[in-house]
Amino acid sequence: MASLRELQASFAAALRDESAACAVLPRENLSIYRNNAAISFRNSLALSFPVLRRRVGDDCFRQLAMRYRQHHPSRSGDLHWVGKGFAAFLAEDLQGSEYAWLADLARLEWSREQAAVATTRAAISVDALARFGPEQLEHLVFSLQPSLELHASDFPIFTIWAANQVENAPPVDQSLPGECGLVRARIDGVEVRPLSPGVFSYISALAAGAPLGEAVAIAGLDQSALVHALGFVFQEALICAVTLKVGHSAH
Amino acid sequence: MSRLESRGVRPGPIPACAGIGLRSIHHDALVNERPAVGWIEAHTENYFHEGGAAVRALERARAIYPLSLHGVGLSLGSADGVDREHLARVKHAITRFEPALVSEHACWGHSGGEFFNDLLPLPYTEEAVELLAHQVGVAQDALGTRLLIENVSAYVAFEHSHLHEWEFLAAVADLSGCGLLLDVNNVYVSSRNLGLDARAFIEGLPVGSVGEIHLAGHTRNGAVLIDDHGSHVCDEVWQLYRHAIARFGAVPTLIEWDTNIPALATLVAESQRADRMLGELRGLAA
Repeated sequence: MASLRELQASFAAALRDESAACAVLPRENLSIYRNNAAISFRNSLALSFPVLRRRVGDDCFRQLAMRYRQHHPSRSGDLHWVGKGFAAFLAEDLQGSEYAWLADLARLEWSREQAAVATTRAAISVDALARFGPEQLEHLVFSLQPSLELHASDFPIFTIWAANQVENAPPVDQSLPGECGLVRARIDGVEVRPLSPGVFSYISALAAGAPLGEAVAIAGLDQSALVHALGFVFQEALICAVTLKVGHSAH
Repeated sequence: MSRLESRGVRPGPIPACAGIGLRSIHHDALVNERPAVGWIEAHTENYFHEGGAAVRALERARAIYPLSLHGVGLSLGSADGVDREHLARVKHAITRFEPALVSEHACWGHSGGEFFNDLLPLPYTEEAVELLAHQVGVAQDALGTRLLIENVSAYVAFEHSHLHEWEFLAAVADLSGCGLLLDVNNVYVSSRNLGLDARAFIEGLPVGSVGEIHLAGHTRNGAVLIDDHGSHVCDEVWQLYRHAIARFGAVPTLIEWDTNIPALATLVAESQRADRMLGELRGLAA
C-alpha cells in the first residue's frame, strides 16, 4: 500500500496537473482544491499589490499570478509571503517590454506591504546633536527607522501609486520623468513619499552607513540644502540613534 | 504575573458560551460597541507580524474579551514534517497574546516544498493517525499548550482510508493527548459530499474529548456543498449542533463568518442563537 508521503505527493501532483493519477473519490472534486489553491494565492497577491492589479486589470493580473505561481509556488503556511518574489519575477518576465515599469511598481508595493506590519522605533530629536562639537558633525553616523525602504525608478512610480488609490483611475503619463522616494512605517500607518533627487541621495547614503559629511558630499548638497536635509530627517522622525564614526571620540 | 496581567488584562478562560471570529472589518466596531459575546477567536497567521493595524486591533480586543487563537497553516498532517519556522511564529503569537485556547486542523497542506495554503484531507489510516498524533505532540511540546484539533470539510476521500473519520480523530486525541474542535458545519458538508452519516460522526467521538465547537455557513455548487463560511448557519447544522451539545455538554461555540462578512450585529445575533441552545441545554440539565 502507498505510504502517506506517496499519497500526499500524488494529491499534490494532481493539484498541479489534472491528468496526474490520484486515488481519491470523487475524482472530479479535486478541481475544488485546485481552484482553492490558485484563488488563495491570487487573492493574497492582489491584497499585496492593489495598485498593480488596478493598472493591469483583473484578467491580466490573473495571468501574471498564474505564471508567477508556476515558477514561485507558495513556500509557507502563511500566505502573506507569496508576494515576496513577485517584483523580481516581473523584472525578469517583463524585461525590455513596455510593461517593465510594473516591476518597479511591485517593489514599491511590496515595501508598503512590509511597512504596514513593521514596528516603529522611538525617534530622537535634533537636540541629540548638542553633545557633539561643530567639528564632529561631519563624522556623525545615523541609525534610521528599520522599516525605511528607498526606491528609485526610471518611471513615475510614486505618481502612479498615488493616482491609483481608487479603482478606475485614469492612466498616468508614462513619459513623465523617473521618480525616487521612501516607504516607511508610521505609528498610524504607512508613508509612501516621493523625494527630490538630492534628499534621496543623502538619505540613501545615511541609510548605507555613510557619515553625515560623506552623505552630504555624495548628494552634492550645498550648505543651505544641508541644513534643510539635516532638519528634514529629524522632523520626519527618521533618526533613531546617532553615534560618532569610530576614531572621532565624543566631545 | 503574565505580560497581559501586568497591564491589567485578565487572560481569562474561554467560557462555555458563544463567541465570534474576529475579522478586520469589525475591529473598530467590536472595541467601540463591546457587544455581549463571550469570547473571540482570531486566525493565528493574521497576527504573526510585530506591528501594524491588525496586531494593534487584536491587543485592544484582547483587553476586553477572552481569546482563542485558531491556526490554519501548521499543516500538522504533512508527511514532510512540521514547518519549524511557522511553529516558532505561532509560539511567539501565543506568548504575545496569551490565548486561553489554541487550535489547529487535522489536515495537511504541503508536499515537496510547495504549500497549497488549504486544509487538505488526510487518508484515514493507522499510518496517518501515528504521524498526525506525533506531530500534534511535537507542536504541543513546542507551544507549551494542549491543542484542540479540528475536523476539516472534505470534497474527496482517499480510497486508502479504512477508518471512519471519527475513529481517526479519537485515536489522534488518545495518542497525542490533544482535545478536539468539532466543526459541525464541516461534519455536515463532508457527510453530504461523501455520503457519510453526520450523526454517527458525532456519536463516534468520545464524550469529554470536544473542547470547542465551530458553526458556519456553506454554499451549494451543483451537487457539492462548499464550506465557504459566507452565510447563516443552516437549519440542518443547527439540529446537528443541538445533537452535539446534548452529547458533549455545553462547550465554547464559535460562529465563523469569513466571506460575505455581514455587519457585526448579524454575527452577534447568530451567536445569540447558539447561546439560546446552550441555555436550553442547561435548563434541561437543571
